[in-house]
Amino acid sequence: MRAVSFVTSFDGPTKAIAVAMLLLLAVGGAYYHQFLSPMYLMQQLQNGAFLGIVAAGAMMVILLGHIDLSVPWTITASATLATALVGTSPEALVSERGLVAGLGAGLLIGLINGLGVAYLRIPSMIWTLVTNNIILGVCVFYSGFYALRSQPSPVMSALGAGQLFGIPCAVLVWFAVSAAIVFLLRRSRTGRYIYAVGTHEPAAYLSGIDTRKVIVFAFVVAGLCSAIAGMLLTGYAGQSYQRMGDPYLLPGIAAVVLGGSSLFGGRGSYSGTVAGVLLITLISSMLSIMQAPEAAKQICYGVVIILMVGLYSRAAPAN
Amino acid sequence: MTEGSSFLALTDVTKTYGGVNALKSVCFEARRGSIHAILGENGAGKSTLMKVLAGVTQPDSGAIRLQGDNVTFANPADAAAKGIVCIFQELSIIPDLSVAENICLTQPPKTAFGLIDRKAQDRLAARVLKQMGCGEGIDTRSRCADLPLSKRQIVEIAKAIVQKPDVLILDEATSALTASDVGPVMDLLRRMRDDGACILFISHRMHEIEALADTCSVFRNGEHVSTFASGAKTHDEIVQLMIGKPISQVYPDKPAEVPVAPPYLDIHDLRWGDQLKGVSLSLRPGEIVGLGGLDGQGQQEVLLAIAGVLRGTTGTVRINGRPAVHRGPKGGKGSDMRIALIPEDRKTQGLFLSLSVRDNLTVSMLDRLSRYAVVDRPGEKALVGRMIDLLKIKTDNADVAVGTLSGGNQQKVVLAKWLATDPKLLLLMDPTRGIDVGTKQEIYRLLRRLAGDGLAILFHSTDYDELIGLCDRALIMYDGRVASTLSGPSLNEHNILSSALNLSHDNSGRETAAPTAALAEGLA
Repeated sequence: MRAVSFVTSFDGPTKAIAVAMLLLLAVGGAYYHQFLSPMYLMQQLQNGAFLGIVAAGAMMVILLGHIDLSVPWTITASATLATALVGTSPEALVSERGLVAGLGAGLLIGLINGLGVAYLRIPSMIWTLVTNNIILGVCVFYSGFYALRSQPSPVMSALGAGQLFGIPCAVLVWFAVSAAIVFLLRRSRTGRYIYAVGTHEPAAYLSGIDTRKVIVFAFVVAGLCSAIAGMLLTGYAGQSYQRMGDPYLLPGIAAVVLGGSSLFGGRGSYSGTVAGVLLITLISSMLSIMQAPEAAKQICYGVVIILMVGLYSRAAPAN
Repeated sequence: MTEGSSFLALTDVTKTYGGVNALKSVCFEARRGSIHAILGENGAGKSTLMKVLAGVTQPDSGAIRLQGDNVTFANPADAAAKGIVCIFQELSIIPDLSVAENICLTQPPKTAFGLIDRKAQDRLAARVLKQMGCGEGIDTRSRCADLPLSKRQIVEIAKAIVQKPDVLILDEATSALTASDVGPVMDLLRRMRDDGACILFISHRMHEIEALADTCSVFRNGEHVSTFASGAKTHDEIVQLMIGKPISQVYPDKPAEVPVAPPYLDIHDLRWGDQLKGVSLSLRPGEIVGLGGLDGQGQQEVLLAIAGVLRGTTGTVRINGRPAVHRGPKGGKGSDMRIALIPEDRKTQGLFLSLSVRDNLTVSMLDRLSRYAVVDRPGEKALVGRMIDLLKIKTDNADVAVGTLSGGNQQKVVLAKWLATDPKLLLLMDPTRGIDVGTKQEIYRLLRRLAGDGLAILFHSTDYDELIGLCDRALIMYDGRVASTLSGPSLNEHNILSSALNLSHDNSGRETAAPTAALAEGLA
């Protein structure tokens, strides 16, 4: 009984995606047996965790009707900075200063993004594109002259590549981030404000909400999420490298939109975003198994976004 | 009255939205050469009827006949091609286009090369505005977004007129017009009627209907209740038909005694750009003070300045004796000021239409309803229940989107959302525009009761009846100044109008008359 109400409590897009995933698994499973093995599925969760954390941050911003295009270099910059500062001392506090600095870099980039959008009133699509390019420039400039260390710290390795009770630690981190986001959106005051500002900012302002703080907060959360993903990725790959964040921008936005969030803000549920992440991870993995080139994947993400945006804006009530 | 043939006829038209019957087997006829008023409360089905006729929605069943032929309309363009044009309650002009571009939007005049002929377009727009008799002061090349609401409304009407419709539908199209523009628009409608047009006219302003309509039809709960010749029934009888029960009195009694408490709000020499040129006023707890005048004389700006929305004002605003230094509605709702601003447009400024009634009711209260930034849900639920009861908001439950409620109930939600913050000073911007009589009466009674409990209320209204009926005092503004203060017997329509047009130096003595140049402009 509880299980039934748990299932019915999800919204339309979440259920539609669940059905699509089951179909995909069934079809895939018919061709490749290993498709349905627990090993393979766990591997998908591991892959999905990085995207899931990025998408969680992207959703905060999209709920406001904004967008964060600085994801690729927020990931790369935070990872680069973190590995550059990893200490060699056995003292945990010293060796993990890189991790702290990396997360701090994410927060700082998010803060700059938020301040530009909220106070300077520059459209987020332009402002975050600009910050992305500036960070890129700073990173290339800074690392261009020295051979930087690119090895992760022990904690980064453990979280990115380790397992706990057979579950990848990255997946556990994704769970923790998800729990925090769900609590934020559903139970906290700020969550309500995010939906209000995303629905119509002037009305939110006239309702006595400090809309600028809400916008800054959402961008800071997004920056932090990108940085967390950067730390985990570094741990998983065993190093930080240029362009490591590139594959996460479009799929992250695609997952949020696929999950039913409106790009115009004010509408969307986190369960939809999680479902979107899983579906995209699965599609990408199937394309890899079918040995489709990277270009095909990119086309696939683009088509998914266009289809879903078209579909959902059609289904939206004509008001 | 001449007997015309029935030009437009509806038979058994039914339209259902979700579980709600917006129209129930409606039979309705309208003749050529008549102005036919459609009356009813909000939610009576008037707007749905208009949408069906204008091709915005299709009826579930029933037939529409135009000159005896069965017709269906796929969309508004289709209806317009068949001669039916509708002016909707919500403005449909495009803000970034010019006046002429908006007026000629559907069929712009073309040059020999098939491009838009801008000069011909300007001429056509100017001609239509002149024909309407209220084109003065509207430059056909100015951007519509730069015009005040009342002028935009005129452009909206011109956009319909230029299509030379056989059937013209006006859905509350006069509610935003200023008093000086209503007359010419009415004359135009009469001329169109005399030329054989069929005009359907929805309005909540009873005196406009009495002045204009030949025939009245009353709708209630999606049904066509009655049709009668205009003037055949008294005002009270019509209102009774609309609400289905007799009503006692629209406005509550005013208290005999003037409140003596020190002023809660005291403004001295408030200035802001060209809009406010030295406004002074004071407001005591328990008082309802009206702000009237022609549209755009600074009434809205006074309220926005008090609420802290305007930047760069000069002069002093004292709240409860202390100079008010705050930024925006967030500062205003703080415990030291307790200001609540009910904005002008409930759909875009007052509410989040796609969010739930609950979210809308508590959004301004969340900082007091939460502990460590976590919303106290039982407390929230109790507050929502209390507010729904207090204002008698009609809704199935608090989880439905507020956009699904009727206009009157939406406005109640806006009021409730701010009353929940327990304000001491309530600033209202035309809170009853486009709302049915029954709900208006409820709101008036509520405001009077709240004033009785010590709330200070400053009330901007475009409706003179309301200023006279509800307010203890009315300040009539002209050109960024308070032109006169009216109270007691001197608060009547004649004095309001003459002050609004700045025709007389009134008995207030608070402000001297505006410069002669402005006076000449007012008379022009």
